Amino acid sequence: MKFIQSRLITTVCLIFVSGVVLAHDPVFGLGPHTLFKDGIETHVGFDQSKAGDNKVMESSLEMAYGLTGNWTARVEIPYVDRDAGATGISDIRIATKYRFWRRDGLGLQESSTAFFKIKPDTASNDRGNSAADFILGVAYGYESRKWYRWASVRYRFNGEALGNVDRGDKYLIDLVSGIRFKPSAYNEPDWVWMLELNGEKTKESQLNATTLANSGGTEWFLSPGLMWTLRNFAIKTGVQFSVVSNLNGTQDESDYRAKLEFEWHL
Amino acid sequence: MKKILLLIIISLLWSTTLFAAGTQYDLRVDGLACPFCAYGIEKKLTKTEGVDSIAFDLEKGLVIVKVKEGMTLSEAQLKLLVEDSGFTMRSMTEKPII
Repeated sequence: MKFIQSRLITTVCLIFVSGVVLAHDPVFGLGPHTLFKDGIETHVGFDQSKAGDNKVMESSLEMAYGLTGNWTARVEIPYVDRDAGATGISDIRIATKYRFWRRDGLGLQESSTAFFKIKPDTASNDRGNSAADFILGVAYGYESRKWYRWASVRYRFNGEALGNVDRGDKYLIDLVSGIRFKPSAYNEPDWVWMLELNGEKTKESQLNATTLANSGGTEWFLSPGLMWTLRNFAIKTGVQFSVVSNLNGTQDESDYRAKLEFEWHL
Repeated sequence: MKKILLLIIISLLWSTTLFAAGTQYDLRVDGLACPFCAYGIEKKLTKTEGVDSIAFDLEKGLVIVKVKEGMTLSEAQLKLLVEDSGFTMRSMTEKPII
């Protein structure tokens, strides 16, 4: 029972970590981009993850709005399809980003953003995680006509799940580099290739004040990715491969996580 | 002779203003690293009354805005528009379109 619970917790964590990306932000990590004032972003994303025999697919519809040139609000509606059989709309997520620092130069921009995301318990237990979670994060980005560099740190506060399971909180660290081999003009297709290093450290979960042996641990991923854009349309894709896995107990290691995102700015 | 030259110059300036087909604003904008990000400026300018065309030269950090005859844009207005798009306008030059 505890093993199943820990797997379920891991799966939900994987789903929740995904999402909240803006084009010309990393695919898996957090970037500093915000939308222009009164800008609307529509976003359709597809995620797939596999750990052992546990395979999860998720698609999501996201809408974002630029409150100012430095402040964006976002709503995300995920649709999950698990091997276990649960299919349907999962917990809705609400997020916001605020760019508190920006330095612009000719053909380059450096910026830092604060990030907050909340996932209330809106879905049924088999499609959500029966808990309210939230994430705080900070992202830094350096973007030039050729090179991209991003770094981010996030901390996820996990709420108590069904059955009094106190899910362990999680740290996420991302270091990303990107390159545009051929600088493109406006209205031309633009390609940026990326390589991400994503680290995740999860604290152990507890059940009735007893630590669950098969919970928590550390994983590092190497994630090649690509963003392709044309004017106000973007496609992003990437795959995460586990390079270091130090999970407690008998948890399944992540085999891969893949993402495909389509984004329109209106 | 000097008077004739002065007259010619004044006439040319007068005719340029009179027969101008509009105004071109060249905005020097910092922060333009990618085409996708620059779309915010296009979107905002498209919504601005009188704007006829918009072009970008990302390498030079230039946004070239052409407005219809009889319409003008102020520097403050353009600076705010660029700021709301998430960039910084460094300078602006204005010239009539002949």
